[in-house]
Amino acid sequence: MTNEIDPDASRDSSCCNDFRVTRRKLLAGFAAGAGGLAASSLIGRAARQVAYAAALGGNVLVVISLRGGADGLSMIVPHTNADYYRLRPNTAVPSGQLVWRDGTFGLHPSLAPLLPMWRAGTFGAVHAVGLAAPNRSHFEAIEIVEDADLGSGARTGWLNRMIGLDAFEGQVEGVHFGSPLISTALVGDSPAIGLTELSNLQLPVYDDATATREGWRNLWAGSRGEFGDNVRLALQTAKSMRSLAGATVDVSRYPAGPLSAVLANTALLIRSNVGAKVVTVDYGDWDMHSGMGSASHGWMKDHLYHLAQSLRVFFDDLGTTWGTKVTVVTISEFGRRVAENGNGGVDHGYGNCMLLLGGGVRGGRVHGEWPGLSELTEGDLRVRQDYRSVLAEVISRRFPGTNISAVFPGFRPAPIGAMA
Amino acid sequence: MTLASIRVLAESSRHLVSRFSSGVTPALTKQVRAAGGARQWFEAQLDPSSIGDPAATDVQSWFPDILYSPETLWRRHQQGVVKGYQVRFQFGCRTLMRRIYSTRQVHEVMTDFWSNLLHVPLGDEESWMHRFEYDAMIRKHALGRFDEMLVKAIPHPAMGLYLNNAVSTKDRPNENLGRELLELHTVGLDAGYTERDVRHSAHLLTGYLVDRWNTFSAYYSTEAHYTGTIRVLGFTHPNTSRDGRPATTAYLRYLAHHPATARRIAHRLCVRFVGDEPPGELVTAVAGTFQRSGTDIRATLRTLVDHPLFYRGARTKARTPIEDFVASARVLGVRTRKPTRDKGFPRGASMQCEKMGQTPFGWPAPNGSPESSSAWIGAGRVISSFGVHLDLVTGTFPKYDVTYQEHTHWLPALPARFDEVVDHMSRMVLGMPAGDRLKWTISQRLGIEGRQLVGGGDLPEHRVIPMLQLMLDSPTHMTR
Repeated sequence: MTNEIDPDASRDSSCCNDFRVTRRKLLAGFAAGAGGLAASSLIGRAARQVAYAAALGGNVLVVISLRGGADGLSMIVPHTNADYYRLRPNTAVPSGQLVWRDGTFGLHPSLAPLLPMWRAGTFGAVHAVGLAAPNRSHFEAIEIVEDADLGSGARTGWLNRMIGLDAFEGQVEGVHFGSPLISTALVGDSPAIGLTELSNLQLPVYDDATATREGWRNLWAGSRGEFGDNVRLALQTAKSMRSLAGATVDVSRYPAGPLSAVLANTALLIRSNVGAKVVTVDYGDWDMHSGMGSASHGWMKDHLYHLAQSLRVFFDDLGTTWGTKVTVVTISEFGRRVAENGNGGVDHGYGNCMLLLGGGVRGGRVHGEWPGLSELTEGDLRVRQDYRSVLAEVISRRFPGTNISAVFPGFRPAPIGAMA
Repeated sequence: MTLASIRVLAESSRHLVSRFSSGVTPALTKQVRAAGGARQWFEAQLDPSSIGDPAATDVQSWFPDILYSPETLWRRHQQGVVKGYQVRFQFGCRTLMRRIYSTRQVHEVMTDFWSNLLHVPLGDEESWMHRFEYDAMIRKHALGRFDEMLVKAIPHPAMGLYLNNAVSTKDRPNENLGRELLELHTVGLDAGYTERDVRHSAHLLTGYLVDRWNTFSAYYSTEAHYTGTIRVLGFTHPNTSRDGRPATTAYLRYLAHHPATARRIAHRLCVRFVGDEPPGELVTAVAGTFQRSGTDIRATLRTLVDHPLFYRGARTKARTPIEDFVASARVLGVRTRKPTRDKGFPRGASMQCEKMGQTPFGWPAPNGSPESSSAWIGAGRVISSFGVHLDLVTGTFPKYDVTYQEHTHWLPALPARFDEVVDHMSRMVLGMPAGDRLKWTISQRLGIEGRQLVGGGDLPEHRVIPMLQLMLDSPTHMTR
């Protein structure tokens, strides 16, 4: 890789004004910045292939991280299971309140806004899904979920490896909305950007835009590390997405709450067709150790309702064309204990559910082998589906030709059947 | 003609002061010189009570709504006198103001460090009324002993309300705090505790209750305390008394003194003050002092700053958004006064930090915001920071209750060579002479040759602003 490093980088300051950034050079710069770690993280690029989906107008994956450990048993309720009601005397969702039911599962009433999508077959779920081994630490579980290749030692996320498999100059394919901090899933060698909102892309220019940009490039030309690379990425992205910086994001259709601005921005970014392939969004505050509430009122009901209502508006906002190209997946680091605790809450658990919406989803049903609740792992729902199997299926169906073993090294996905 | 240069600190002194303050200003440089050098300044800073701090006292009086007891804060909230979110916001503002203007810079920095380790988010709806007293407690111990701080922090109602220990009883134990105490506040996951250890940890912590949603008074309930033998890692206690406080204290002291805690805190200190991947030798040395000194924070910090490896990797730590704003306001000599309106400087400061992705104590999870630089240097952050810098150098925002320096403040006696003007400004703003790259960049930006002689007419305000902008946007200012 060393012969790819931008020759401008080593020039002295008298030549800095010639410094130009291209995606390819950026990648080389990242590799240089990563130092000794780069060797193992280059696998993705060595396996770089012809892109199928990153071409403009292609499919988009939106990953919503339900941080804090969302209680999947409250979302997709095993309503015919007597153990569920026995173990959750105060917090179980009564069968009669479910808005959809089959012989095993039912949907929490807060998911009502998404019921039309469920019925139309564009909203489905996978249950008893999770990590290969239980991990009840929020922070370690998140790290495992998002790195998804801990054996390698390189800190790269699965989404970053995925977008690293194709090379498009001048495009940032990974965007995180809600914060300038990107999550582990997007961390890695391939350019990714975290934005509070699209207006962040507006470069702050005092008088002379060209001279200011050149000033920034010159100032940072000697900084070969990650920080300097990100300054160059910022300038490049602001340029390639400049049409978006001044765009008006209409949040008025969205319900007030933490998802309104991020999903409105996500929808606009996708509709603007500037090459974003992956968007990540965080929706936290699921750590319901106490006061989870009931199906009729309280924390879980309100929190889930905001998610459902927001997603409904999001798909409306995307419109028919984009709505079929966008697939939404929810992930949470772990499920909650089956038995409620004494505080009307549930402690850290294991097995969970994932929600799938939009393009390619075989919805209207709950997928995955169901272990039931009679045999538990330390009080927790067992995992029968590795979360990577679900993600691998989404990727391989929506981005055909993607080298799954480069996204999830050493993992052999099992078929789930959740994606058409 | 040559200029009388503004004196700056030697590189190694600047490094120490930069890492342990919120920005090297000409005034701070003077204080360091008056103390006899950077290390002597640092030593004096370790005893904050010996340093007058009129600005912090002043700032304290700007936000009287914070100064009530938790019970009164809650009552005022309920009566609609001052809502909780307003008090919380004021507290964030006050924190920013202290960090900018306090003369006890090391104390401010270490308060931030421990607050982040023993993190209780300001946004938490249940604990906010106890959060300000919690802050006072952290401040009290920030340069004292970690075991003393831990013993106060974990049973504190702010922590208990946040991590559900305030509802955890022998019949209804809640694991949340018992687990995070091990994972985040002390020994860490690598210590190898089990799920059974977590349950025991939670059992022992039962009893520290709060009269939630009523008075919000904290109390200890002997009825709520679980009795029976507790075993966590190497700690064993019969825990037969219904008053579990002595046993809890013994447990917390055990954890504070555990070698895994020493290693973990030493590593975190080194990440904060040295680099994202600190040398193992340095971590070992710092952990050794922490352990041997019985968790004496000052002794631990002395080992850190006196180690030759501390001086490696100057300017490798990126400023977090808050550090960026605070340092920018400091080096620009921004003056403020008691806010006369809602949109005053403190509020604007807080909004600018939020724009860059961080608010005081705003991190939403119990692990605290990332200590590693790599988390904070994303491309989105870069653009936001550049925007905040421009707002400050133009004096556009924050707009009210604030005085920015006139552009002539930054200029030496003119006429002078342009590269000497840049050097003069660099010494004022960056606390160091201008390097070739900075001189060249600014030369290019303004289209003025370095050797050109310039007078006041060549450098009106709209020419000085881009110079200041580039200095704040430089790698030197965006790292510490």
